[in-house]
Amino acid sequence: MYERERAQAWVVSSFDSRGSRPCKSARVVSSVKWRARHPEFDSRYRGLTYIPLEYSSRRNAYAYIALAVAAPPSTPPNPTVASTTIAPAENGTIPLYVHTHPPSPCSGDLLACRFVAAVFLAAVASRGVAARPLVAWGDDSDRAPLQTSRPFNIAHRGSNGELPEETAAAYARAIDEGADFIEADVEATKDGHLVCFHDTTLDDVTDVADHPEFASRRRTLEVQWANVTGFFITDFTLAELKTLRTKQRWDFRDKSHNGISPIITFEEFIDIALNAKRVVGIYPEMKNPVFMNKHVQWADGKKYEDKFIATLKKYGYGGKYMSPEWRAKPVFIQSFAPTSLVHAANLTDSPLVFLIDDVTVRTEDTNQSYDEITSGEYMDYMKKYVVGIGPWKDTVVPPTGDNQLATPTDLVAMAHARGLQVHPYTYRNENKFLHFNFRQDPYAEYDYWINGVGVDGLFTDFPASLRRFQEWTAKKQN
Amino acid sequence: MSNLPASTYLSGCAPLFLLLLLHLAFARPLFPLPSKTKNEEKRPIQTFRPYNIAHRGSNGEIPEETADAYLRAIEEGADFVETDILASKDGALICFHDVTLDDTTDIAKHKEFANRRRTYEVEWFNVTGWFVVDFTLEELKRLRVKQRFSFRDQQYNGMFSIITFEEFISIALDADRTVGIYPEIKDPVFINKHVRWADGKKFEDKFVDTLLKYGYKGQYMSDNWMKQPLFIQSFAPTSIVHVSKLIDSPKVFLIDDISVRTQDTNQSYWEITSDDYLAYIGKYVVGLGPWKDTIVPAAENYLMPPSDLVARAHAHNLQVHPYTYRNENQFLHFNFHQDPYAEYDFWINTVGVDGMFTDFTGTLHRYQELTSPHRKDETANSLLVKISQMISAYEGI
Repeated sequence: MYERERAQAWVVSSFDSRGSRPCKSARVVSSVKWRARHPEFDSRYRGLTYIPLEYSSRRNAYAYIALAVAAPPSTPPNPTVASTTIAPAENGTIPLYVHTHPPSPCSGDLLACRFVAAVFLAAVASRGVAARPLVAWGDDSDRAPLQTSRPFNIAHRGSNGELPEETAAAYARAIDEGADFIEADVEATKDGHLVCFHDTTLDDVTDVADHPEFASRRRTLEVQWANVTGFFITDFTLAELKTLRTKQRWDFRDKSHNGISPIITFEEFIDIALNAKRVVGIYPEMKNPVFMNKHVQWADGKKYEDKFIATLKKYGYGGKYMSPEWRAKPVFIQSFAPTSLVHAANLTDSPLVFLIDDVTVRTEDTNQSYDEITSGEYMDYMKKYVVGIGPWKDTVVPPTGDNQLATPTDLVAMAHARGLQVHPYTYRNENKFLHFNFRQDPYAEYDYWINGVGVDGLFTDFPASLRRFQEWTAKKQN
Repeated sequence: MSNLPASTYLSGCAPLFLLLLLHLAFARPLFPLPSKTKNEEKRPIQTFRPYNIAHRGSNGEIPEETADAYLRAIEEGADFVETDILASKDGALICFHDVTLDDTTDIAKHKEFANRRRTYEVEWFNVTGWFVVDFTLEELKRLRVKQRFSFRDQQYNGMFSIITFEEFISIALDADRTVGIYPEIKDPVFINKHVRWADGKKFEDKFVDTLLKYGYKGQYMSDNWMKQPLFIQSFAPTSIVHVSKLIDSPKVFLIDDISVRTQDTNQSYWEITSDDYLAYIGKYVVGLGPWKDTIVPAAENYLMPPSDLVARAHAHNLQVHPYTYRNENQFLHFNFHQDPYAEYDFWINTVGVDGMFTDFTGTLHRYQELTSPHRKDETANSLLVKISQMISAYEGI
């Protein structure tokens, strides 16, 4: 229906050209029918009250959409008043105080709610063309495009140096700070929803330990060849996960945002990127696919990778690297599991990136060693499916025992010789992560990797620092 | 053609060769030493942006106050190299920060000195350890310096020795560009209590004598100062007043944390930062060197509203050179998001300081070069344009 559905569902509400009209109960009753016709809205706005308003069919316009309902005001308006009042708020949105007369059979929420919506009144009703949003969200061509002249600034789990990882706040901060791509790890819940979360267990970055109702779910499962104990994400439904609150993983980072943000879904993550004021790419990972497929089953028999790609396609992601479609909606799909990447390559033409872990780690699906998957033959094979590799940076340039850089390996040269990009992970400002050659200066590290090693993208916990470095050194060249 | 055999020829020439050898051994090199070249040939120090003061040399990378740390700092672009001057038992002035040798040397490994460990009062507190003032210079030179912080590079531990004040000055004068020095009269009350000089002079006198010997003199921004830039710093106001009578080079009054009292006059932070005191000390110094967390205090590792110390100092025409800036995230308040460049940006552009003591000269230099590089092609005309623009903003008022 509406291609450009945005996060928080700023909605269009239809009003005829005369202006305000009462939203009567008939419209509310029809909500059930409307909801049945648009199941995707149902799942997206689960947890939010929404009331669709159906306009008269003689107008020949779909003229309705769900309204995201904000928190009800403390004093409910007088239910006997039968009018709508529209007054613009400071930020340009128009709050609608909707009263019905008599009170609608709907929940008390309807009476007491304030709807925040972007509303265009007159022009809207007369348009009458189906499948086009009533509100002009603004041309996509107005948005500043993705830069492609210098290595990509990939906000690893959002700006997680400052805010808890993989939260909406962390991603919004990363976009503010100038990241080219926002990165997320996508895992599945017990009821098959895709969420942004890195670990298979909830222990380290959520307050699950403070929830006595879940205390019994702590157990031990095998994850990537090792036993892990904790509260597994695949044992929780999405609704249950939404009751948890995230916290900062590292002790030495800012904890003032602990306990505030919930876990977000893959779709919410995509919305954040699409809603940005400039073109921001996404970099989602098919995380632990072997584990996900083992513990989560989908009703239609589809697998985790299928669901992952289906979500991307639903939001219009597609197109080869650097094609116009790709530039409008940049994406890299990443995974440590080669078979998942091959499977994905059959479903989409979006660019894929093959992640490579430390030298001691074997691939979770094919049980191959580091040496095998970084050999020339294997790269020739993977080259058919991926556009780049994402290695752990300490395997590209290993450190010595006393934290200095040793001789670099030839991994970057081998990748570049086959036309593969290299996006190493992960760059962090804290001195414990910096080898002594960089003199505890994160910008010296960026300088070395961008100008010395010559990588094509960097996963960083501090997109602001990388952005500043790139901007300042670009100016210097001029 | 000589008919003499080779052996007699050689033996006859032996005294000549010996003389030649002696001549070569004692003659000076044919090229001039850098410190002897005319100072006009050396690139001058910059004065258009805040000073980059290498706090104890580039001690983020190399053990503090060693020759190598200072050489590295000069290489990395420091405007000034900073040091703390203490005295040995026999009155030699050395570059060393602590009164005890425990934290930055391998004194513990030297069995011959094991019995010299004791307790003295230093700046109102009892301190136990091996004290610098109980060792002669020759003994101190036997020790080897190590990196103070365990999270910094340890690879140079045990390689370098303590250097003297004169060696420090030579390093600065021998650089191939003009590098200023920023020595501190360190713990003068303690030193004068434990060390006596034969001629009855005190620590501050000896300190100034060394500077005068190397030609340091001249008020701030004078011709001589530009050739040999110098700031003398101290926490002790009476020492500053004393040396003011001996040398006219610019001095800086250091201010410690709010809980610390001055070692000589026992005054509190509030007293020495009051307007009256600034007016008084302003007659002797050109600037203040406060601890940066007293200028902009922090709570729960977030910056709080700044105090008015910088504004008042500037109102008294005093520069402000806060200490100390470090790259490691444990020293960075969360506002800076673990990015030392963000901290420099705040202090230079928002607070507006005139110099910064940093453990990481390279980082500060890189920041300044990227954001305010030397303006090579600034002409008089462009300056006039700027002035007229500034004036035009006030037209019509």
